[in-house]
Amino acid sequence: MIKLNIDGKQVDARKGETVLETAQRHGIYIPTLCYHKDLSTYGGCRLCLVEVKGWLKPTASCTLPVQEGMEIITESPQLKRLRRFSLQLILSEHPHACLICDKTKDCAQYQECIQKAPVTFGCKFCAQNGNCELQKLVEYLEIKEIPFPFSYRNKEVERYDPFFDRDYNLCILCGRCVRVCQEVRRAGVLDFHHRGPKTLVGTAYDLPHLETGCQFCGACIDVCPTGALRDRFGKWFGIPDKKVKTTCMLCNLGCSVQVNIRNDTVVNTTPDNGDLCVRGRFGIAPLVNHRKRVTVPLMRRNGRMVQVGWKEALEFASSRLSAHKGKTGIIFSTQMTSEALDVLANLARHVQCTAFSTSVRIPGADQVFDFKGITKKAAFIIVNTDLISDFSPLLMRLRQRLNDPRFIVIDAIRSQFAQNADLWLRPIAGQEQEVIDDLTSKNSNGIAGIPKADMLRALELLAGKDPYLVYNTMSVTGVHSGKGMKVIPLNSSVNAATITRMGITATMSDVLDDSTLTCLYCIGAGPRPGRQYATVIAQDCFLPAFDCDLILPSATFVETGGTVVALDGKKKRVRKAVTPAGKSRSDEWIFSEISEMLGISNKNGLVRNVPQQVPATARFKGTDVHFPLQLIVRNNCYVYRGALLSQLLTGFRRLRNDQSAWINPATAKEYGLTDGAQVVITGKTITLHMAVYVTTRVPEKTLLIHTYSSMGELVSQPVKLEPVGAKREPGKER
Amino acid sequence: MKPTLIISAGTCGLARGSNEIVQAAKEYRRKQKLEQKFEIKVTGCHGFCEAEPNVIILLPGKRIFYQRLKPENIEDIVERTLLNQEIISEFLWSAPDTKKTYADIDDIPFYKKQQRILLGNNPSIEPDSILDYIRCGGYTSLKKALDEYKPEEIIGIIKRSGLRGRGGAGFPTGKKWEICRNARSDSKYVVCNADEGDPGAYMDRSLLEGNPHSVIEGMIIGAYGIGATEGIVYVRNEYPLAVKHVNMAVKQAREKGFLGKGILKSKFSFDIKIVRGAGAFVCGEETALIASIEGRVGRPYARPPYPAEKGLWGKPTNINNVETWANITQIILKGSQWFSSIGTASSKGTKIFSLVGKINNTGLVEVPMGITLRKIIYDIGGGIPGEKEFKAVQTGGPSGGCIPASLLDLPIDYESLSQAGAMMGSGGMIVMDEETCMVDVARYFLNFTQEESCGKCPSCRLGTKHMVKILDRITRGKGRIEDIALLEEIGENVKLSSLCGLGQTASNPVLTTIKYFRNEYEAHIQEKRCPALVCKSLISYVIDGELCSGCTVCAKNCPGDAITGEPKKVHTIDQAKCIKCGICFTVCPPKFKAVKKITPALQ
Repeated sequence: MIKLNIDGKQVDARKGETVLETAQRHGIYIPTLCYHKDLSTYGGCRLCLVEVKGWLKPTASCTLPVQEGMEIITESPQLKRLRRFSLQLILSEHPHACLICDKTKDCAQYQECIQKAPVTFGCKFCAQNGNCELQKLVEYLEIKEIPFPFSYRNKEVERYDPFFDRDYNLCILCGRCVRVCQEVRRAGVLDFHHRGPKTLVGTAYDLPHLETGCQFCGACIDVCPTGALRDRFGKWFGIPDKKVKTTCMLCNLGCSVQVNIRNDTVVNTTPDNGDLCVRGRFGIAPLVNHRKRVTVPLMRRNGRMVQVGWKEALEFASSRLSAHKGKTGIIFSTQMTSEALDVLANLARHVQCTAFSTSVRIPGADQVFDFKGITKKAAFIIVNTDLISDFSPLLMRLRQRLNDPRFIVIDAIRSQFAQNADLWLRPIAGQEQEVIDDLTSKNSNGIAGIPKADMLRALELLAGKDPYLVYNTMSVTGVHSGKGMKVIPLNSSVNAATITRMGITATMSDVLDDSTLTCLYCIGAGPRPGRQYATVIAQDCFLPAFDCDLILPSATFVETGGTVVALDGKKKRVRKAVTPAGKSRSDEWIFSEISEMLGISNKNGLVRNVPQQVPATARFKGTDVHFPLQLIVRNNCYVYRGALLSQLLTGFRRLRNDQSAWINPATAKEYGLTDGAQVVITGKTITLHMAVYVTTRVPEKTLLIHTYSSMGELVSQPVKLEPVGAKREPGKER
Repeated sequence: MKPTLIISAGTCGLARGSNEIVQAAKEYRRKQKLEQKFEIKVTGCHGFCEAEPNVIILLPGKRIFYQRLKPENIEDIVERTLLNQEIISEFLWSAPDTKKTYADIDDIPFYKKQQRILLGNNPSIEPDSILDYIRCGGYTSLKKALDEYKPEEIIGIIKRSGLRGRGGAGFPTGKKWEICRNARSDSKYVVCNADEGDPGAYMDRSLLEGNPHSVIEGMIIGAYGIGATEGIVYVRNEYPLAVKHVNMAVKQAREKGFLGKGILKSKFSFDIKIVRGAGAFVCGEETALIASIEGRVGRPYARPPYPAEKGLWGKPTNINNVETWANITQIILKGSQWFSSIGTASSKGTKIFSLVGKINNTGLVEVPMGITLRKIIYDIGGGIPGEKEFKAVQTGGPSGGCIPASLLDLPIDYESLSQAGAMMGSGGMIVMDEETCMVDVARYFLNFTQEESCGKCPSCRLGTKHMVKILDRITRGKGRIEDIALLEEIGENVKLSSLCGLGQTASNPVLTTIKYFRNEYEAHIQEKRCPALVCKSLISYVIDGELCSGCTVCAKNCPGDAITGEPKKVHTIDQAKCIKCGICFTVCPPKFKAVKKITPALQ
């Protein structure tokens, strides 16, 4: 324990602490701007200057390590003068008309503002108004005037990237975004440009973020003290008046997320003591507020869907289910709370539905992964999964917890993470298992197209380590962990563990292929095109893409309460943050109402037997003359229930072209294809009509598609490709 | 000994055409088949920039200095001087005032009054030849250090010598080494800071170009004392010749076993690599330099922890300037007592200054600490050209300050310069005469620091910018009398609130010019007058009717057609059309001197 004196008060400091941290711990306020508790110290804003007895000049407390016997003064006329000087200088570059105006309060009350003014020239026209750290500091330092002429940077507001806007006219160069991007997210997308008064934050060569490997995690926005970085969706909703902590249900990591609400509307979602990925940060608010939400029950009458009351809708549903007793199939999304699933399972049993399945296969979902059991000896082998684009919070957590462990990627696709990992092994697609097996041996001669040197390097990295196999269980088929390897199963089904415990062994194909069924109840999935049922009931948050007789509007997970079991096998609370949109109701409520009408008690226990392992699926060897290309199928994690995020939100469509088939430029040239060209992909069992996206991420002679439940069950296989129709210009989609 | 032609071919010499001299000399020797008769040596800078391109001719017992040569002079030099020992008086240097000529280099006042410990070997060494360096006693110092001293003893010697950092701040070198030596770590670094960025300073370049091995030897000794295993020379890429020579020197030293594993059969291993800087002024600041070596943006960060405890890649790192490293070699060779006998009580040894500006003998001068400014400027520098009055000297580059004529007898050492508001800096010395406007000078230097600020602290990034704006306004005659106080206030605030040395010293030129030349500021503001006749907005060009002979030269050359007048009649300048380019002033024949500058400007 180090003792020092701050403002005449004797305080204890911890070793390695800075003077600022000590002062903050003891409730002594020192103004700061560039300082952020989660980031390295910077010492750039000069607001936290303090005087040290015996030192000639004041020094920044945020970078000053404590020393025994130091005498610190945090308030003095000189310090106040210097702090005011620095802030006034900062404000000479930042629009400050409202900051120093004595009529600000009256103005806010009486004058309507043009919130979408293209240029922010006062707080009234800034999305951060009321939340801005400059406003607080101006008040604290009692700045009433700026003695320097105002120099506006006059930069165009950068709006060409999805999800967030950047107005560098408001930037004060505190460097928080730069540090969070480099230190926490390790993306290194942002840095300072130029020198002197021309200094500015930006990307390499000022490229759009989409082209610089930005993960769109939003961490930069969350640390920005001003309105320079704002997420576009909730920008003008105002300052949140309510914050609710809940669990993100978009994948099985189940990250804690804070929902910020204003007037019962979700403004945005921010990380709650951790990190989020692009889905959690930018996907939730627009999903909940989406204009394509179904908000009332709809029933088919005379060939048209008309609005009906809940009573009528539920009566119809229960009458159909009881009429088709024994001939009903239920397929459902995994992104539901455990409570809803319990009621649904009970209902399913009582209506004697012959087939009952999740909308996707989730092999390996019964396995859980406990963070507590992991040691510093851990090393990670990531197979066919992009940890950065799909599960980045896991990566952050592992790095933080284990102080930079080793990551080896096995993937034929050049994923975002492949470029960042310690080692990237690029095998011939479909031969991943050989590579994994080879990694458990002592020596290697190279395998599956991977050179010997790389394999030896991998063995070197793994020597003496505790290897973990990390993969998306819905995307990696036919892979089992090698000897002594533990598994971290990832997927987009947050409640996968609960579902597997329910003992569901049927696959979606089993349900859809069952010709005896006359009624289909779809919760986040749809029937095969062309297959007729007497009744089709759909229940989802968004309008389904198939014909049905009844649509029951579900509330999203932000609008419902309950629990889910995430990757670590623990129950996590999902809290109701806002009132459900329109007349939509939670799944649990809908299932309970139907059950009640059918006279089913909810108290019955569930059948919980251990499911069989889903058998490994097709592997391909060599090339077939008829099917010269390899189709690689990966699970699309950017999905909520029955809908793809990229179908609903433009930002996600621009982020990754995941509705197109990805093709290597060389192969595309061979077929005379350009970006956006329509093709027919034909395999032994499949025929797909898609657009192509030309990218170097995939190897030659290979096609990559991202599947989700509505595409049916696809497996990697050899295919052939035929261009069709006129080529469309890339990026000209609606 | 064969007669030898030593050609100065540093960057400044090359710029003045020394390469052509070299080519001409070699060509002539080849054609006349005189290879056996005399030798040619192409060396680094000899320091006397004013006299470039120059040569030294070694004859038995003589070192003749010829200056301002042209390739066609080679024949004369070879035939008459090298082969027949005749001295050609037209090539000799003559004092601008007395017109006295000097044949032997050691008699020239510019050289005679210097104490050239570090630069003295430049004319004897071909920078690309390690053998030359060894012949001049090179690497004996290293051998002595490794054979006779323990690492601690090396540090003791340096501490006792009283050597202080030549990069500017003057931190005692031995103490710095000791901190680094005592820091616990598995690996340590020594860095040679050759990121010389002050406008008008080039002594580090000259040392690295002319005698790279002396710096490398110093670094090896330092690394031995500190216990470092790796050294880095951080040199700006704007110095291509220095980069080339230091690269070559490191390679040769490695081949000869002065670098690498088990140096000179001892257990000590050390190697050096060269990192080229992109030329940001701020990268001369040690933390920014570290950031730059690590591949990050070159921006300073807060100390403590000091680099000596936690520097490059988080390891203890000792950073010294080129000149400091070159001093090490001499101290070990000649002992700490010898070194501390030179200089003043607190500042020991010699210091190289680059004497530039309005001075007769422009060049690099190496003088003992404690010498007065007057001696440097008048005795060595030969005074101000053109019978003008000395006004001030700017020391320490843009971070330094202006020292007025009243302080000419100030002894040059770290403390006296700081007290005068200036600083030693890396040793730039810019002499200004009566035709230099101090407000304009302050604006120039501040504009430089403003542009070179890294942009981290608002005080430096924007404080300097606003000061430049105010100075600009004063030089345009739009200043207000409160501006002086405002400049002082901002200057003081910038000094106190900036993180690194750049910001902390950026306002020095302004503060010292206000301190010593307040009347000039007041003249600009109150009388709209530029006493030095520099600030364009405050002067007018007029033609003196009594002196003008109507030669029409000015009217012919005026780009704005502002001058009217018949031949042989007095000409006049139309002030409304005049753009104040000053061409008329320049072209008016010296016998008339009819064009005058007046201030304040005519309305």
